Amino acid sequence: MPIKLKQEQDINHYIRALADEKGHEKAELIPILHEINAELGYISDDAIKALSEQMKIPTSQIYSVVTFYRMLSNEPRGRHVIQFCESAPCHVAGGRKVLLKLQEELGLTQGETSQDDKWTLITTSCLGICGVGPVMIIDHDIYGNVTPDQVPEILSHYD
Amino acid sequence: MKSTRSMVLVSADPESMDRGALDVFTELQKQIIEFGLEEEIALSMVNDISKPGFVPLVLVYPDAVIYGPIKPGDVHQIVEEHLYKGRVVEEKQISPYNLSGRIAWLSARKGTLPAENRIVLKNVGVIDPEDISDYIIHDGYQALGTVLNDLTPEETIALIKKSGLRGRGGAGFPTGLKWQFVNTAKGEKKYVICNADESEPGTFKDRLVLEGDPHAIIEAMLISAYAVGADEGIVYIRGEYGLAISRIKIAIEQARNFGLLGKNIFDTAFNFDLHIHAGAGAYICGEETALIESIEGNRGEPRSRPPYPTTAGLWQKPTLVNNVETLANIPAIIRNGAEWFQSIGTDSSPGTKVFTILGNVNVTGLIEVPMGITLREVISIYAKGMKNGANFKLAQTGGSSGSIIPSSLQDIPMDFDSYKKAGVSLGSGALLIANDEVCVVDLVKVLLNFFRNESCGKCYPCRIATPRAYEILTNISEGIGTMHDLDILLTMSKHLVELSLCGLGQTAGSPLKDFLTHFRAEVEAHIKLKVCPAGVCPMSGRRTY
Amino acid sequence: MIKLTIDGKNIEVQEGTTVLKAAEATGIYIPTLCSHPQLTPYGGCRLCMVEVEGAPTLQPSCTLPAVNGMVVKTNTEKVMKARKFVLTLIFSERNHFCMYCPVSDGDCELQNRAYDEDMTHWDLQPNWQPFNVDASHPYIILDNNRCILCRRCVRACDELVGNYTLGFEERGADSLLVADYNVPLGESSCISCGTCVQICPTGALIDRQSAYQGKETEVEHHIGVCVECPVGCQRDVLTRDNRLVRIEGDWDAPLNHGLLCEKGRFLPLEDDRDRILTPLIRKDGSLKATTWEEALKVAAESFNNEKGLAAITSTRLPAEDMALFKSIFGDNLKADLVTTLEEGKPTSSLAKMAEKLGKSFETSLESLKDTDAVLSLELDLVDDYQVAGFFIKRQLMNGTKLIVADSKDNKLAEATTMRFPLTSGEEADFLTQLLDAFENSSENPALIEIVNVLKESEKACIVYGEAFAANADETAITLLLNLAEKINARLIGVKGNANSMTAAQLELEAPINVEECQAAFILLGDEDPSQKLVKTLEEVPFVVAQTTYRSQLTGKADVVLPVAMWAEQSGTYLSLDGKMQKAIKSLDAPEGVLTSREVLQKIAKSLSIEPNMDWKASLMKRMPTVQIQEA
Repeated sequence: MPIKLKQEQDINHYIRALADEKGHEKAELIPILHEINAELGYISDDAIKALSEQMKIPTSQIYSVVTFYRMLSNEPRGRHVIQFCESAPCHVAGGRKVLLKLQEELGLTQGETSQDDKWTLITTSCLGICGVGPVMIIDHDIYGNVTPDQVPEILSHYD
Repeated sequence: MKSTRSMVLVSADPESMDRGALDVFTELQKQIIEFGLEEEIALSMVNDISKPGFVPLVLVYPDAVIYGPIKPGDVHQIVEEHLYKGRVVEEKQISPYNLSGRIAWLSARKGTLPAENRIVLKNVGVIDPEDISDYIIHDGYQALGTVLNDLTPEETIALIKKSGLRGRGGAGFPTGLKWQFVNTAKGEKKYVICNADESEPGTFKDRLVLEGDPHAIIEAMLISAYAVGADEGIVYIRGEYGLAISRIKIAIEQARNFGLLGKNIFDTAFNFDLHIHAGAGAYICGEETALIESIEGNRGEPRSRPPYPTTAGLWQKPTLVNNVETLANIPAIIRNGAEWFQSIGTDSSPGTKVFTILGNVNVTGLIEVPMGITLREVISIYAKGMKNGANFKLAQTGGSSGSIIPSSLQDIPMDFDSYKKAGVSLGSGALLIANDEVCVVDLVKVLLNFFRNESCGKCYPCRIATPRAYEILTNISEGIGTMHDLDILLTMSKHLVELSLCGLGQTAGSPLKDFLTHFRAEVEAHIKLKVCPAGVCPMSGRRTY
Repeated sequence: MIKLTIDGKNIEVQEGTTVLKAAEATGIYIPTLCSHPQLTPYGGCRLCMVEVEGAPTLQPSCTLPAVNGMVVKTNTEKVMKARKFVLTLIFSERNHFCMYCPVSDGDCELQNRAYDEDMTHWDLQPNWQPFNVDASHPYIILDNNRCILCRRCVRACDELVGNYTLGFEERGADSLLVADYNVPLGESSCISCGTCVQICPTGALIDRQSAYQGKETEVEHHIGVCVECPVGCQRDVLTRDNRLVRIEGDWDAPLNHGLLCEKGRFLPLEDDRDRILTPLIRKDGSLKATTWEEALKVAAESFNNEKGLAAITSTRLPAEDMALFKSIFGDNLKADLVTTLEEGKPTSSLAKMAEKLGKSFETSLESLKDTDAVLSLELDLVDDYQVAGFFIKRQLMNGTKLIVADSKDNKLAEATTMRFPLTSGEEADFLTQLLDAFENSSENPALIEIVNVLKESEKACIVYGEAFAANADETAITLLLNLAEKINARLIGVKGNANSMTAAQLELEAPINVEECQAAFILLGDEDPSQKLVKTLEEVPFVVAQTTYRSQLTGKADVVLPVAMWAEQSGTYLSLDGKMQKAIKSLDAPEGVLTSREVLQKIAKSLSIEPNMDWKASLMKRMPTVQIQEA
């Protein structure tokens, strides 16, 4: 569960500590962004600004990097992030019906976060667990061989 | 997976079906179980083998014996005599002459049952991946010792060159040659990188190696670093592979504690250290220059080549990038010699290949077999046939960047050169096997959706053509495509290969070409008849993107 | 040397030359979009693809290095088809419906390339997805609908300007040009240098001032030096029907290579000051229009008759005008005070040192382009002399170190390796401490760090500003020279206004003191008078102002002589590093308005003075701080 650092100075403090720990080399940018994303749930504008100051990397470049990679997000996400694989192996194994069921259950289309901030639904490219497609990952839990019927039950495990 | 001894195929062309092939198949199933042979015999139906007047045919493999016509009543004798006792039932045999060309492969492969042969996956599932001692007991770091003590870097490279090992990332570039490029490149500082950004849909072989045998990768990287003159290495692992990352982390720590990483390794002058860089979710970073950009903290956008990474890679220094599966072969080659390695697989593609089997088959999973196995063998032997006895319609090999292969091409040996000759790509070793319920338009739409999402956007043909192609395919799947659209798709396919900056764009066009080459009638049905023969496409008559 | 064949022509080029450059050098045209001569090759658009013998696919000529024996073909059917395909794709990507675009019909590289290929339409449905237009910036409009994602703007902002404002959001077809972390351009870190607009091949980045005001086919070009500061950038002033349309940097200029700053590019077009169109004379307390004869007569009388005359000129005027001014008021009239509005502050102490040493000690601005460490003394290169600042900023990411020592807030300090706060007036102390730290170490860790950086550097530059020059005495300058010698650093003094160096060469550097003066002649030109000047002149009974615009000064003046503004006159300028360059007349002055030079000549005539017209010789008399080079 991501910890929310609300105050700007908290974020500044957190990011300074992080940069000091990891180093200020540009090669550390993506590892640091990974950490921030895990800690805050997303990489906020404030975090980008603070990181830019610490690492002397322009905000434009950090923002370009954050939005390029799918595991990093500049937008707040829900408490639970569902990644649904839409690549061919899962598709051939019946993925589309599962996705439709998910969308129906959640009332979300891909990329959206529910109004109560509970769910974010993301479709992703192959997650590397194709042996058991269709596959979805909720937070860190992996679900394989998912059928549409199982969807409500799986979702009910999360609050 | 238990090793399969024989493969039995029942012809399932329309004539065979008319004449009771299904009953023969059911009876075979029953009898095989009765004789307790179900673990040893693979049974499937094949719809592309026939001999009018002699069907249904029953083919027993690898003996290359063909029986026909067979009635359910003949089955007991064939199972008992041939499969159980190993005696050919001569009176039921027909001559293989005059059979359709489709089974010419059969006699050619007589007696060569491709059993699993584990080099890359040898330790996976056998050793404790979090315990370096277990790896060492299983000959671990022996190869490193040999190299550091007995071989010069040049001799090491010569050995790898002689083994004929080719890169398993997809392109099949000779590994020894790549090492040599880095070895001879000018520069004090050099890097070796393990490309573990396995993102090709349907591929997870590298994950299993990383999770199951992490020290093999570390050992191989040490050897490659010694050979090319590098003192720093990076394992670039897909960010989604959490367990693999933690296993490699543990392994690096242990290796460091054992003095296998750091200064003066094996009391030689050789220094090397290794760290991990976790990817952040971009398929394109499997492309080696994009991967390097990503390590440097940038957007993962491929660089123009030349210069190649071997001369100007990470931080503009000579850099060796090798795929996980390629590296996993290295220690075994050093231990067993180049000749041993050459004896496995085919002449031009020695060694094994790890395949992931997916789709509408009975058993999905991972196999490591000698190069040169055929798709038919994979489906029949390892996948235990199509699920529910359905027809094998097509396979998508090598993930998104591979090829769409119709059942008619399933007998081509899977090695780099045979596939290249046939105009198909072996790619990463993913084998997505689809039955008749899969619509080729729908499948290609999914593939193009993948490409348009994963295109980095740097080079125009890939960035613009992939979404346009997706939109055109969507139109076709909605029943509003035109025949002119197909010309556009073919033009796109041609130009994507010709113009794209990196492999992603170059391969994005191949499904567009493949599906029109092999399944044009099915595609045209969507346009001319406004019908999806597989019943998959929505055909709403509306523009939906 | 590399020998290759392009389209059957045998060509020899330097190693490392790209095929595109090799082709261009022989006059073989290859179309490009994402490539730009000032930027590192990118290889994105794939328009410049050529056929190379032996290569399985077409090759991008912009990134492909020429190799011995290479055989290249640029105009085969395969190449032509590929070109058309790429253009077709680009047109199908976003909104490229030319008829609504301000750059259509000549100014759009995309459209031009398509016309080159005889394209009349394209054969692919676009997606039709609209994007927002960002109009938050005072000068620039960013329209992602017309963007072809060539990133020339982003690369220019990074590689040329070093401001790193622009970037890309997302990837693939979703890529959007954004500022900083996706803030409106008007609220971003943009410094309005306008390089992105100038380098944009399409209408994705346009400037508000010139949009729809004139196309390439309708405008006239006037290339000359910028007169907004002494850096000496070359710019291209575009006019149409005697109206300013736009100002662009000259890509071919050896120093600025196309770069300009807000002051040089945008601000001149924002000028809405009140123009004076006729000579004026104060009668009964208010200014009344009069004739040139009358005005000149009254002015000349005041110069001749009154006791105590002060003559003060702007340093924004051409060297010809300033030399004439000096000849009339100094050499001939021998006025009590002949000086400039700057009173020589940015230049005189340094000029005196050059005189004393008998040699020049400053160097060209070019040395900033490859420096590995810069010490900036009392100078904010973000606010002023921006283009010189760009030369430094764009190298910081590549390891060039920047040390800012300033008594004021300094915007450059944000990008700085080290910052050292000074106390104004105590620069000599700082230099003493620094030299001491060099020889004997120091207790101040900041000084030690500065010493370390400077010791490590091989191509250090010391740049100092007006405030340093104004405060520095001989001791301070000697210290500066010692320091430079010690670290083998090159010295660059920025000098105030566009022609402050000319003022220094003419020794127009007396402090303004008008206590005894009964009359003052202020040659203000198109400058704005400072509050201080206006206040000082309150003591002077009779003021003649030669100026372009109505201001507080004209409110005080007894005679006003209306003169041309910068764009309406030609003349010579000495840049801060001694380059002698011409400003070019781009517009005709309004009827009844004369250039400063014409007015000075008329004044001379009415005073029966034969002024010295050899301005160049007057300029060369004094030992300059930096060698003067005639362009």
